[in-house]
Amino acid sequence: MADRRLTRRHFLAGAAGASAALALPLRLDAAPAVKKGASLRLWILKTYVEPTNKAIEASALRWAEKHGASVTVEYFTFEDVQTKYVAAIENKNTPDIGQLETGAPARFAGMGQLMDLTSFARQVEGEVGKPPGNVAPVTVIGGKTYALPWYIMPAFWYVWRDVFEKHKVKLPTTFDEAKAAAVALNRPKDNFYGMGQSWNRTADGYGVMQSLMYSYGVGWATKDGKYQSIKTPKMQTVMKWATDIYKEGLQPADTLTWTGSGNNENFIAKNIAQTSNGPSITFAMENAVAKATDAKERKAREEALANHLALPHPGGPDGRRMWAIAMSFGIFKNSKDPEAAMSLVAHLLSPEETLKVMKDSYGQFTPVLDKARAASKEYFNKNENYRNFGRATEWFSATGWPGPVTAAAAEVQASNVLTDAPAKVIVDKWSVDQAIDWADKKIKEIYDTIRA
Amino acid sequence: MLVVGLIGYPFSRAIWLSFTDKLVGYPERWVGLRNYLYLAEDDSFRTVVVNSLVFTGASVGLKVLTGLAMALVLHATWRWRNFFRGLLLLPWITSTVIIALTWRWMFDAFPGRGFFNSVLLDAGLLSSPIAFMATPGGAMAAVVVANWWRGFPFFGVSYLAGMQSIPGELYEAASVDGAGAWRRFWHITLPGLKHVLIVTILLTVIFTINDFNIVYVMTRGGPGTATQVFATYSYEVAFNQLRWGRGVTIAIYAVPLLIALIPLVSRALLRERA
Repeated sequence: MADRRLTRRHFLAGAAGASAALALPLRLDAAPAVKKGASLRLWILKTYVEPTNKAIEASALRWAEKHGASVTVEYFTFEDVQTKYVAAIENKNTPDIGQLETGAPARFAGMGQLMDLTSFARQVEGEVGKPPGNVAPVTVIGGKTYALPWYIMPAFWYVWRDVFEKHKVKLPTTFDEAKAAAVALNRPKDNFYGMGQSWNRTADGYGVMQSLMYSYGVGWATKDGKYQSIKTPKMQTVMKWATDIYKEGLQPADTLTWTGSGNNENFIAKNIAQTSNGPSITFAMENAVAKATDAKERKAREEALANHLALPHPGGPDGRRMWAIAMSFGIFKNSKDPEAAMSLVAHLLSPEETLKVMKDSYGQFTPVLDKARAASKEYFNKNENYRNFGRATEWFSATGWPGPVTAAAAEVQASNVLTDAPAKVIVDKWSVDQAIDWADKKIKEIYDTIRA
Repeated sequence: MLVVGLIGYPFSRAIWLSFTDKLVGYPERWVGLRNYLYLAEDDSFRTVVVNSLVFTGASVGLKVLTGLAMALVLHATWRWRNFFRGLLLLPWITSTVIIALTWRWMFDAFPGRGFFNSVLLDAGLLSSPIAFMATPGGAMAAVVVANWWRGFPFFGVSYLAGMQSIPGELYEAASVDGAGAWRRFWHITLPGLKHVLIVTILLTVIFTINDFNIVYVMTRGGPGTATQVFATYSYEVAFNQLRWGRGVTIAIYAVPLLIALIPLVSRALLRERA
């Protein structure tokens, strides 16, 4: 295999070429070069899959070693990502480079926190590749690129194949089929339920709600990112699905109270036939096989591993649109060494480094840049589940579909209005129309009062 | 000056922010009473106010009752008194996050894991687990119980100290006059504890109405908004929605009540000292 590592020489050549070609004055963000002794702070997401975290840190350290620089890697988790960035922004203590979740580039760019990386993105495109059209709007805001996408962390529709086969139930490809399967498989007396879908305040809740809405053709924003009402018959159908799975007793009674791990635990314990979750379930099950203490235990765990299927999220009448967490790298304007920061970002995004991290991710890391995607085909051909993991980018839809990701769209997701609406019906016994009116009013208020 | 600065600056800054549309990363702009008016009309906020009052009232009420019971038992027990006093203080010195996680586990409906469900199922009293925290009432009861458990030892120890300062002659005289246990409690113990009661109740109301950890760890304000209280809603609006002005206003809404309570606490404390 040809060595396609992104070297400093490549960078400089690319930067000089691009600058000349575009006849642009040489700017800081146009010529990544690393001074000896450069020191950077890098913030990355600490996922449940520890080897991924270590792999990213190791990749950053390889860059530091190569350039005689130092990188301080600091972690945030899904729990404290907002708190950390908010505190850093308000205290003007942002890192040089931050890994950003789906809504963050739009929000932080609007605040003037992120560097415009348009030229840089163009320069490194030849080495790292381009994102597909459905992922690019996460990092391109108002025609300018404020972050470079790296991977998406999708959720899949986990089902127990053996349970479906035993009861001769078709594997679901649509939300309607998923509900029909839940009805067919539900056995509350045996403490086994047809489904486990929580409308809670985590990505397991608002992420699936967005997949459901978008697949039914419901978006609260227009194609140009403006507010549009969700008071539509399609949204009524969405809400009916979201609430009927509770009203009809197809789920464990405490499903609405599950936090991030509730669906994992219930699925792995085989209390539910289907649930949505990231590939951390696969990670846990692969790990369980490795940790088996005797042959009998190993056999049982291998069977469980073989029987758990990660299907793409079901589709709806309007197609299959899977919301996912899209992680990108942004460089903060406060960075003392933007050139070094760009060099590190380009290093991390290079197909070789991306693949190294991906291979330690147990499928939860789906590269989005086309060069890494092309190079990852073999990895994702491991089995049926991994083939689905590898295709996640194809089905990806970002927050605010069909429009671009905007600060307002990100706030709609963050306000929990999307999951509080079905909860109003399930818990407070509101009517579906009442809950839709309530959610629509909240969404409109966000769009009316958000600052550009 | 230092004390005034440490208390005065954050407080006045918070008041100022509540009159602005401050968003994280943007400079604040004066909007007058807009945040207050918005919240006054916000049905989610009205739920938060009711939840906060229920959470605070129920938690403090339970703490007073069990604190009194604990103090009475310890006051009447000479043997091992100090041991039990120390033992009962354990919840108070345990980390709140640990307490919240433990109680969440106790109420869990996951088969074979939740303490209450496991006991009831094993005893044959249940055929399937009860999802205690799945209903608004159950979830509120769960966070109240966790908060009560953490705080009642403080009440018990305070009341015990108060009881020990009541002269024994009063009880002896009352007994000679034929007063039973209830009359002695009602006419001697309770009046003797009046100031301690006032101080503990007022201080705990202030702490509880601002409590964040227990609710956030156990329910995150759910299911739906059934346990959303001032602190968790303020956090959600300020940190997730990035609307600091409005988030601060949510917290400020509780201030008039707390400001009214502070002079009462101070007066009771001063009287106690006198």
